[in-house]
Amino acid sequence: MSLADSLSGRYRSHVAELTGALDANDESAFRSAFERLRGQLNVEFNPELKRITADAQSALRRFREQARLEVLADQEVPDARRRLAHVVKLTEEAAHRTLDLVDQSTPLIDRMSLEAAQLLEEWGLHGSRQLAVATLWPERAYESLERAVRDAERVRRFLSQMLLAQGYQDLSGQIINAVIRLVTELEMMLGQLVVLANGDETRRMPVLKLDEMQQAASEISRGVGPQVPGAASGEALGSQDDIDALIASIAAGN
Amino acid sequence: MSNNMKILVVDDFSTMRRIVKGLLNELGYADITEADDGNTALPLLKNGAFDFLITDWNMPGMPGLDLLKAVRADAKLGKLPVLMLTAEAKREQIIEAAQAGVSGYVIKPFTAATLKEKIDKILASKAAA
Repeated sequence: MSLADSLSGRYRSHVAELTGALDANDESAFRSAFERLRGQLNVEFNPELKRITADAQSALRRFREQARLEVLADQEVPDARRRLAHVVKLTEEAAHRTLDLVDQSTPLIDRMSLEAAQLLEEWGLHGSRQLAVATLWPERAYESLERAVRDAERVRRFLSQMLLAQGYQDLSGQIINAVIRLVTELEMMLGQLVVLANGDETRRMPVLKLDEMQQAASEISRGVGPQVPGAASGEALGSQDDIDALIASIAAGN
Repeated sequence: MSNNMKILVVDDFSTMRRIVKGLLNELGYADITEADDGNTALPLLKNGAFDFLITDWNMPGMPGLDLLKAVRADAKLGKLPVLMLTAEAKREQIIEAAQAGVSGYVIKPFTAATLKEKIDKILASKAAA
């Protein structure tokens, strides 16, 4: 290491000047020596500081350009929260609907079962001929069978409604799939952020093809999923009647 | 033809296919085939002599709108009744589906009565044509 490169070579003369000025109590000479020392420090450290600053700015700029962090933070994450809350509501409603229908079906089935059991018991005890001649059994049996037909039809309707209530799974599944895509995107961005924070230029996260994802998400023909109250969406029609009216108006215009 | 109709139900969610199939069974339609997106549906349609297509919109692979366009562009399938059964409710989507030639559009969640009404309406207009 040459004299010019060593710590002593670079700073001894500055320290000597400062010490001399202090010893002489010469403030002007001290300030001059101090400025020269500061100049020397600037010469040595400025390029390194500039490089570090430029790297950081460049990395942040790259990150901002690639990532949709602001959009995600401002809009899509709150939207995802609303979407998941809507899923909770959908599943809760479907569960209650199904349980209500079970509650409505159970007494009907119980009555059918009880009456059939009573009729069978009486049939077994007395025999058909005696019952037919001596009692009101035929009328009761007829009424019971009539009730059974009505009750069975009601239970069938309830079962049909239970079937339909399971449609929540399709809607909630679409919403959850969209949130999974968002979480995946966030995960990759956070990974990139960690790389930036660590300053590890040799590590590279997998390249996220944001453009493709964005394109796919915005492409209307692929579909955008169910409407969620409070979540960002375009102009959506609220009811089947609105849709019927729109289609009818288009058909009339053709 | 109605109750002997051969119907293809296309939806990526198996639960929804089961629901639609169950409702169609209740309406008296027994000959029902399922597919999970447009890519699997199209070959079935081309080889299967189907009378009616019920399709979701938002599906991986080929979405319902592309399936509708492919059906309308096919010389053999062009007149096939297509009912869109979907959660997609944006105005521009419905306009696009209508312009692509959809026969009916039912928004999820739907009722059995709505499904029946739309199928009956499509079949009536087909019979009148």
